Amino acid sequence: MQIKKTYPYLLILPALLYIGVWILYPIGKTFYLSFFSAPTTHSRDYFFVGLRNYLQMATDKIFWTSLWHNILWVGLSIAIPFMIGLLLAVTLVNRKTRLLYATIYFVPMTVAFIIAAVVWGWIYNPVFGALNRFFEYVGLESLKRGWLGDPNTALLAVNMIGNWGYFGFCTLIILSGLQGVDPVLYDAANIDGAGSVQKFLHVTLPAIRHTLYFLIVYTAIGSMKFFDLIYIATKGGPHHASEIVAVYMFDLFIRQGEINYAASLSVMLTLIIMVLSILMIRFLYEREI
Amino acid sequence: MKGRYKTKRGLQSTSSQVLVHSVLIIFVLVALFPIYLMVTTSLKVSSELYKNVFALPPDPKWEHYPLIFIKRGYYGNFINSLIFAGPVTLICLVLSIFAGYGFALYRFPGREFLFIVILSALMVSEVSLLIPVYFLLKDFGLLNTHLGLILPQAALGLPFGVFLITTFFRGVPPNLLDAGRIDGCSDLRLLWSIVLPIGMPAIKALSVIQFMWAWNSYFFPLVIATKYEVMPLSVALNDFMGRFTMNYELVATTCVIMFIPIVVVYLIMQRSFARGITFGAIKG
Repeated sequence: MQIKKTYPYLLILPALLYIGVWILYPIGKTFYLSFFSAPTTHSRDYFFVGLRNYLQMATDKIFWTSLWHNILWVGLSIAIPFMIGLLLAVTLVNRKTRLLYATIYFVPMTVAFIIAAVVWGWIYNPVFGALNRFFEYVGLESLKRGWLGDPNTALLAVNMIGNWGYFGFCTLIILSGLQGVDPVLYDAANIDGAGSVQKFLHVTLPAIRHTLYFLIVYTAIGSMKFFDLIYIATKGGPHHASEIVAVYMFDLFIRQGEINYAASLSVMLTLIIMVLSILMIRFLYEREI
Repeated sequence: MKGRYKTKRGLQSTSSQVLVHSVLIIFVLVALFPIYLMVTTSLKVSSELYKNVFALPPDPKWEHYPLIFIKRGYYGNFINSLIFAGPVTLICLVLSIFAGYGFALYRFPGREFLFIVILSALMVSEVSLLIPVYFLLKDFGLLNTHLGLILPQAALGLPFGVFLITTFFRGVPPNLLDAGRIDGCSDLRLLWSIVLPIGMPAIKALSVIQFMWAWNSYFFPLVIATKYEVMPLSVALNDFMGRFTMNYELVATTCVIMFIPIVVVYLIMQRSFARGITFGAIKG
């Protein structure tokens, strides 16, 4: 029986060790590094400084701007692709062609961020860009601009690239949630004489709430961690207008060699994501019990 | 009145049908326009792009493809991407299957805790890992090697893999396993002949997803592979962009070459792909 007891641990061990080496150990090391500093940038002769890096963060305007942009990013990603996904999924659920549409909507998600950034760079291009051409055709010339280069629009413009890649995912997830709703619920609502809007609010939404909660938490975590697309499209610019925490961290690490300060930002970001996830899960799921 | 309650669609008038269809079609256009733009740009010359970005190429320049793929050596990066994404998928699959089997079909102390430890790895930003992983690879002399690209990338996909496979394996009926045990099957034998066949849809989906993530991944490879000989397509594309700044048609060609394998795999495996990606959301 001794073998039986250790058996499941042996099955899990390889994955656990692997994650331990490449994810948990690095996070621990980052945590350790965040309490040190180096005499010069790119140096590895660390000395202990306690909480100094964290205090520096408190007065770092770029950090606070980046964090604010992360929060905006979470809000926009829930407001735009999530809502579009809900609209499309509700529209598609009773159609025979739903799989065809869902397949097409999902295609942008298979496009690598690097490709998306390049191609959308042409759409936003101030000289020949499709978006400016479009505004010319419809007579809204005043809206023409270099969308990624203008500090007023940079963050929103990059966010739209992300939304383009994400709305199909939301549609697919919500659609499969809707397909699991018991049709009997609608029959009952029909007998009670409920209208479409009432049915949506009082039958559909409650029935798929777990799918929606999952998607909201997943989107929020993904938005806080977001990196590749913004880094490729704008590098956080112009003048930090589209800077988010992960991009700022990468910039500190690679371009400025501020390894320890970047490490303290990493720790802070991970903590924020964990607290946010726990709060959201508590708020969304535990009120039900 | 007849048929009014028969279907939901029966309630809707023709004009609202037109509206609904235009919404669906508009989002099809939104989804596909950038891809149309990428493909048409690769077949144009820059002056045609400045004239009209929307138009089809008047005289398609197919020669851009052999120019990039063969003469500029992009096929080498293509092979690098295969050497990178293939093993990443394999490592992830094998480790996820064993762990998923353990988590889903055994009861043991610490099960919940260990599962949460693995899931919490999903909340870690890749950038947070970069600093220690970079030095780890440097100390082992793995920077600019295929192995150095493969090892950390497989770890990034692993928490999702364990989650997906565990959720799917939980659906395996326990009495099937009990029957197998009575017949004297070993635990590995049960995994091989009962659990794996039932879990096939999840396994297929996970392979496609992991392959796509690795193929499209940019950030770790950008830092780890600075030598052209080991660069996967994504990093090489970044490199090409620097060299062909104004040659949009050549950049577009490199994008299309990188995109084709993934979209083909997606369209072939589209059903298992959708199933795998939505599964966790429904059951989890």
